[in-house]
Amino acid sequence: MTFHSTTGRIARCPSQYLYPTMRLFWEFTVRSFQRHLTYRAAAVAGLVTNFFFGILRVSVLLAILGEQESIEGYGRAELFTYMALTQAIITYLSLFGWYDLMNAVHSGEIATDLLKPMGFVSFWLARDVGRAAVALLLRGVVIMALYSLFFDMVHPTSVAQVTAVAVSLILALLISFGFRFLLNLSAFWSPNARGIGRFGFTISWFFSGFLMPLAFFPAWVQQIAYLTPFPYALNVIVEIYTGQLTGPALWQTLCIQLLWGLLLFTLAHVTLRTAVKRLVILGG
Amino acid sequence: MSIITVRNLRKEFKVSKHHRGMMGTLRNLTTREFTLVKAVDNIDFTIARGELVGYLGPNGAGKSTTIKMLTGLLTPTGGEVVVNGRVPHQQRQLYVQRIGAVFGQRTTLWWDLPVIESLELLRHIYRVPPDRYRQNLHEFTSLLEMESFLNTPVRSLSLGQRMRADICAALLHDPDLLFLDEPTIGLDVVAKERIREFVRHINSARGVTILLTTHDMADVERLCSRVMIIDHGRLLYDGRLQTLQDRFGGKRELVVDFAEPYPEVTVPGATLTHYHDLRATYEFERQTISASELIGLLSTQYRIRDLSVREPDIEGTIRRIYQEGLLTGDA
Repeated sequence: MTFHSTTGRIARCPSQYLYPTMRLFWEFTVRSFQRHLTYRAAAVAGLVTNFFFGILRVSVLLAILGEQESIEGYGRAELFTYMALTQAIITYLSLFGWYDLMNAVHSGEIATDLLKPMGFVSFWLARDVGRAAVALLLRGVVIMALYSLFFDMVHPTSVAQVTAVAVSLILALLISFGFRFLLNLSAFWSPNARGIGRFGFTISWFFSGFLMPLAFFPAWVQQIAYLTPFPYALNVIVEIYTGQLTGPALWQTLCIQLLWGLLLFTLAHVTLRTAVKRLVILGG
Repeated sequence: MSIITVRNLRKEFKVSKHHRGMMGTLRNLTTREFTLVKAVDNIDFTIARGELVGYLGPNGAGKSTTIKMLTGLLTPTGGEVVVNGRVPHQQRQLYVQRIGAVFGQRTTLWWDLPVIESLELLRHIYRVPPDRYRQNLHEFTSLLEMESFLNTPVRSLSLGQRMRADICAALLHDPDLLFLDEPTIGLDVVAKERIREFVRHINSARGVTILLTTHDMADVERLCSRVMIIDHGRLLYDGRLQTLQDRFGGKRELVVDFAEPYPEVTVPGATLTHYHDLRATYEFERQTISASELIGLLSTQYRIRDLSVREPDIEGTIRRIYQEGLLTGDA
């Protein structure tokens, strides 16, 4: 009997006593992780592009800096760190676009997912966590290591700071996922929602501080930006990593990150419910 | 006791009108005009637990729309659907726990995972107790002869293998009700037969209620004693397949091999269509004369060596029903 031998290959969860939902989440995450690990050639190609693109970006910033010591707290080392971090995060947060859900809606694949008794948003989150984990390891960590070799950078100096960066990264993924999920849900309303998607991602580059550190913008732009969730997915990570955010301000930032994450996640649930009501599955 | 109850079910779609040409494009931009399409137009039916019902209709008749409403994927425009004690589109997660669905055209399995991994994931999704899972997996894999490809990724399976894997996947959690949407589409004769056998087995041995949509009349003939026919969104027929055949089936044929040549072999009540080399073919209608009457008449007059009765095929009957709108008058 073949199936006895194969059940041993099932990913074991860390504890046997987790709730079935957690277990299911874990099973999806692991499989998504394994799946994304297999695209190695693409990972290497992406890595090279990513590396040189970062150098291009930082030369513009260095030109702005010119002969000055620093602008708004950003000296040469901070700028290199900013560049390295934002480059490392591109794939982790799918900054350049993520249309998987949109494609599933347009192809009708979503029907088979909706026919399974599972939380639809959680199911996509689990898959995204698996994807992001691979991105963080194969891209994020490697890029940070590479840039550290070539450039002078600022690094966290305490365990607490490293922990804060880690927590902030996790919360940033939740925010990013919520945003991307909502953006993709536009597929339910429009048969050609890619344009809406592209517009959304472009907006997110600007407000998240990906185009330039938010500190470089006039105060009023910063004020607007901090009313949106975007800086909490990217800009704050840089500020925590470089030590610009500390103490009560750091705690406050982490709390706001959590709030945005939960808000967007809830919003995704609510919007999905409306979206499914107007679902028209084509074909079949 | 009925497992599916449908009352005055309706589904309308708005389809935007497109105008052609230069001016048309401008009009498309400035105005939004819609035509209302009634995909499902006031249908009623009930299905009892344990039934195996065929749901037929030409493409675009409203079959898929009905199935999507029954599975909770679409919200009806009006009317009432209760399946397995729940309203599918309102209690999606609870509802789908107890049903299974196979859409022949697409797969439930994960494309790049081996079959067994997908089945394992489904075990977690449906929270099937490990023992029950092992039992079912064992039974289905041997009945569907799946052992050889359990470790193959879904993308490398043949269509027949994929369909078997999908059917297995839809049944691991012991659903009360199974929706089969064209489960034999594109398969060869042997593969079709294997799937039919299995479908019959789970219906009779496990009592799973099955709603089967198909364009393959052999599926219907082998499996369904009851059929429902929908066209233009309306339920045209709901009853026994045989009754349909009796009413609308074409003419029956009697082929007779005579023991010796006769110059004249006509009989009242039947039309002689061929007579050559001792073999005669008659066409007759059920309403006019029965096969035994006809045979009786012939055997009193001639010495007969052999004979056979050919029933009109269901394929032809259904085709005539669709094309000639035979049922539209009495819906």
